Amino acid sequence: MYLQKTLAKSPRWEAGTELVELITGLFLLGFLQFHLFAVSSIILGQETFNRDSQFLDEYYISYIGIPLVILAILVHGLAAMRKAPWRVEEMRIFLQHSRRLQHLDTWAWLAQILTGLGVLVLSAIHIWSTLSTWPIEAAKSALRVQSGHFSLLLALLLLAEIHAMLGLYRILVKWSWVHRQRFTKYLVYATLGLVALGFVALVVFYFTSVKV
Amino acid sequence: MAERLLTFSIFRYNPATPEIPPRMQEFQLDETPNMTLFIALNRLREEQDPSLMFDFVCRAAVCGSCGMLINGRPGLACKTLTQDLPDRITLMPLPVFKLVGDLSVDTGVWFRQLNENLEAWIHTDKEFDPRSPEERMDNTLAQEIYEAERCIECGSCIAACATANMRADFLGAAGLNRIARFLIDPRDERSPYQIFEVVGTDEGVFGCIGLMACDDICPVEIPLQQQLALVRRKMAWAGLTGK
Repeated sequence: MYLQKTLAKSPRWEAGTELVELITGLFLLGFLQFHLFAVSSIILGQETFNRDSQFLDEYYISYIGIPLVILAILVHGLAAMRKAPWRVEEMRIFLQHSRRLQHLDTWAWLAQILTGLGVLVLSAIHIWSTLSTWPIEAAKSALRVQSGHFSLLLALLLLAEIHAMLGLYRILVKWSWVHRQRFTKYLVYATLGLVALGFVALVVFYFTSVKV
Repeated sequence: MAERLLTFSIFRYNPATPEIPPRMQEFQLDETPNMTLFIALNRLREEQDPSLMFDFVCRAAVCGSCGMLINGRPGLACKTLTQDLPDRITLMPLPVFKLVGDLSVDTGVWFRQLNENLEAWIHTDKEFDPRSPEERMDNTLAQEIYEAERCIECGSCIAACATANMRADFLGAAGLNRIARFLIDPRDERSPYQIFEVVGTDEGVFGCIGLMACDDICPVEIPLQQQLALVRRKMAWAGLTGK
C-alpha cells in the first residue's frame, strides 16, 4: 500500500468526472445542432433569422445559454483532456501504437483530440466576435462572414461537427447495447447532412446583401 | 497455388544478453500449403536459428500462449495462415507484457496480478456441500457467463489497447470482461458497489476510452464492446446509488 494513493483514491470522483464529461458532451452536442438549425434559418430569409434571434433574446435564452455553453466547453475540455497522451513518452507510445495497428477507431481518437483542440481555439474567436457585435442580427452576421470569417466559420463547422459526431459514436460504443457496425453509417450520414446544411447557411450569408 | 518465398522480419532481443541491442532480423522460408505461423516459426527454429524464442502449447487457439504482433496487429500465431498475409511478414512480441525474449512474453504474471486485484473468484458465505446436487441455473444466464469465460487470456486485447500501452495499471478488456462474468453471476455475493470500489476507477472501466481495438482483434471473438458497456453501466449505476 502507498499512503498517498490510498488517501487520494476515490472511485466516486473518478466515475463522477467521467459522467461530467458525458453530460457536458451531450449538452454541447445538443447545443451544436440547435445552433446549426437556428443559424440555418438564414436560408429562409433575413426576417426569419432575425425573428429567431429576437425570440432567444426576449426570453433570456441567450443570456442563460451562452454562459452555460462557455462553461460546458471549459469543463468538457478539461474532463476529456485528462485521458489524452500529454507526456512525450505517452504521445510517442500512442503514435507508434496507432501506426503499427492501422486501426480506424484508434486513429479516430487522434482526430477527436485534434478537432477538440481546434474547436477550443476557433470557438473562442467565434464567441468573442459574436458577443462584441451583440445583439445577433442577420446583417451583422452576413457582414462578418463577408469580411474574412467565412473560412474560420467553415473550419469551425467541420471541426465541431466531426468532433461532436465522433463523440456521439464514442458514447454509443461505450454505453449502449447496440453493436457499433449497426449505427456507424447513420452517424456518417448525419455528419455529412449537418455539415452540408451549415455550408449552405454560410454560403447564403456570404451572398446576403448588406445595406451599409 | 504458386509457391511463395516468404520474408520474415522478426524482433530479436534476449534480456539475458543485454549487450546485444534489440534488432529486427530477416529470415526467408518457402511457403507450403496451409502453413500457419506456428509451422513457419518451428521450421525457422529447426532449420535456421535454434536460438529463436517463441511460445506455443496447444496449436489450436485454446491455450493463448502464441499471441504476438503479426504485421503490427496482435493475433494468435497458431491460428494465422501465411496465405492470408503478404510476402513480407513482420513479427514482434506483444507490448505491455514483460519480454522473456524475442517473441516470447510473460502474460502469466500480468494475468495473475489482474485476477488477484479483482479477486476473480466467487465470493460466497454459503458452505460447499460436495454431496448435494448442483444448484440449477437458467440456461440463458449460464450462456452469458460462459460467453465471458471463453477468454483464453492470450493478451491480444491488452496489446491492442492504446490505454493499456500507455498506462501500466489499466485493467484492459480482459480484466473488465473477467469482472463482467462475476457481475452477472448470482452465486457471487459481492454487491456491485463492492466491485465499483476496484473497477469504477480510471484504472478500471472509466479508463477505457472506447477505441475498440480489443473488440476488433479478439482471437476468440468475445463481444467485448457489449461486455465493457455492461460493466460501465453497472459501475456507473453502483457509483450513483452506492449499492
